[in-house]
Amino acid sequence: MSWGAVARKDFQDAVRSRWIWVLSALFVAMFAGSAALRFVLGSGNASAQQNAGIVVLFVQFMSDGAALLVPLIAIVVGYAAIVGERESGTLKLLLSLPHSRVDVVAGKVLGRSGVMALPVLLGFLIAGVVLLPAANGFALGTFVGFALLTVLLAVVFVGIAVGISAAANTSRQAVVAAVSVFVMSTTLWGPVTGQLAGGIKDLFGLDPAGKIRVQLFLKLLNPVASYKTLVTSLIPGVTPVDARVDLFSFFIFRPPGIGEAFGDSLPLYFSDPFVVVYLLFWLVVPVGVGALLFEQADL
Amino acid sequence: MTAIELSGVTKRFGDVTAVDGLDLTVSEGEVFGFLGPNGAGKSTTINMVLDFVRPTSGEVRVLGRDAQAESVAVRERTGVLPEGFDVYERLTGRQHVAFAAESKGVDLDPDAMLERVGIADAADRKAGGYSKGMRQRLALGMALVGEPDLLILDEPSSGLDPAGAKEMREIVRTEADRGATVFFSSHVLGQVEAICDRVGIMRDGEMVATDTVEGLREAAGGEATLVVSTDGVPADAIKAVRALPGVSTARADGNTVTVACDDDAKTGVISTLEDNGASVSDFETREASLEDLFIAYTENGVESPRRSESTDASDHERDAENESEVEA
Repeated sequence: MSWGAVARKDFQDAVRSRWIWVLSALFVAMFAGSAALRFVLGSGNASAQQNAGIVVLFVQFMSDGAALLVPLIAIVVGYAAIVGERESGTLKLLLSLPHSRVDVVAGKVLGRSGVMALPVLLGFLIAGVVLLPAANGFALGTFVGFALLTVLLAVVFVGIAVGISAAANTSRQAVVAAVSVFVMSTTLWGPVTGQLAGGIKDLFGLDPAGKIRVQLFLKLLNPVASYKTLVTSLIPGVTPVDARVDLFSFFIFRPPGIGEAFGDSLPLYFSDPFVVVYLLFWLVVPVGVGALLFEQADL
Repeated sequence: MTAIELSGVTKRFGDVTAVDGLDLTVSEGEVFGFLGPNGAGKSTTINMVLDFVRPTSGEVRVLGRDAQAESVAVRERTGVLPEGFDVYERLTGRQHVAFAAESKGVDLDPDAMLERVGIADAADRKAGGYSKGMRQRLALGMALVGEPDLLILDEPSSGLDPAGAKEMREIVRTEADRGATVFFSSHVLGQVEAICDRVGIMRDGEMVATDTVEGLREAAGGEATLVVSTDGVPADAIKAVRALPGVSTARADGNTVTVACDDDAKTGVISTLEDNGASVSDFETREASLEDLFIAYTENGVESPRRSESTDASDHERDAENESEVEA
């Protein structure tokens, strides 16, 4: 088990790259810049309730941005992790040392996750400092949960990208696959779930509520949607039902009949812990499949 | 114990057979030079020993272990200078060696190792700025970490100037004296003859000869090389010369014909050339060097010297017969 050494070396290598600092600046600008909204929307002497509202607004505003930017950057950080070393020849140097190929994949996931987590957490930290005077205990929990979920989203997409990188024979293959995953998860999957759920409804003669449940499940198969609905769940006063139903809304417009399909209580498999499991599925499976293919490849 | 053992190893990439039924045994403590022209299958063979590629059939064992299933254990005791590698551009030389030490679980002073391979003054510089030769030295330094039982060096002298190549040979000698087995490949004979206990010559995916350097030299010494200058060489003339008794190889290079043959076959060679339309203007005889033998073994379209009778033997038999035949 030598993935620790691989991860440390990978992180060491990446930290010296100039673009990690560009990334950090980007995240800091995005998170802290949005946090600065509080100075526009509310002054320092607003009531505690108003201030908590600012934090919530920040969370809603930012989760949409993070849901787009974090996967994109994680893919950029991860797609070349292994196939790039394979093409340049540094992989030969690495595998001349006593590392198994599985250790290389695991170490890369860990190292690049660190590369992503560092700027994300830095961005949140600075945003937190800006928001601090407005925070009460309740909002702080939301904020920390939001930060942790965003790191998890980053790690999941690093895992997907490194898995693709391990499976690919050329950088070009890796780029095409990674970009496809990005486009699918950030834009195309939503409309596709409507079509798929409609087809399944016709095929099995489901009632409208059944169709909505199927569609929600399909939506949750998308890690970006899982992340968004989990972040929404964190907001004080938002129930998990609201958070799931929110996935169906288009900006503030919410199609009728969605909330009624669930009533007051969600089935267990739509509860927050299960959604976390769906998200983790995306960490485990692409990395596992990538490692398996890499293990069998002729280098 | 044997350090490296290949039995009936074949590797195909699609339609191309890179290595064909290879048998090879390298004993512990031996310095083995692995020769052959580029594309002969040397790197593919080494890549199978290192588990970078997997054999289509056959078995590879290294240091008594299965090269594929126990690859990590093999590499814990092996130092490798791979071919076609690159360094981590943003890490310094010292960080590279420190990483090798960490990976092998060895406690060592990276600076001392960099001193040994002659790049101590570049220890703090990013390896991305290193020259080809310095990268080669850095990788050698990483390979030497932890006093490995086996050193595998794939074209170690590439990118090195003559002084660097000499230093490389000295390091190989020192490692061998320590008791390490050294297995290294080269397409340049001069680099191996001075330090190898034994050499193997590979051509077109097959081992065409394995012997001690002395054995190969003796085999080569039994023949003379005849260099004939002509005004033009018809293809038939070369064929006719090759068919002569006592002639092992013949090749044309422009208007010059080089023939390896027994001493008493020389006259026949000259007259056969003349009879077939090649007008001989001059000729000289020189004693065959190891270089001639190497060229004879490895150049395409040239029959192996003293072995033409056995070319129809199966690959396995031929390999097994190599040593005795060359010594004969």
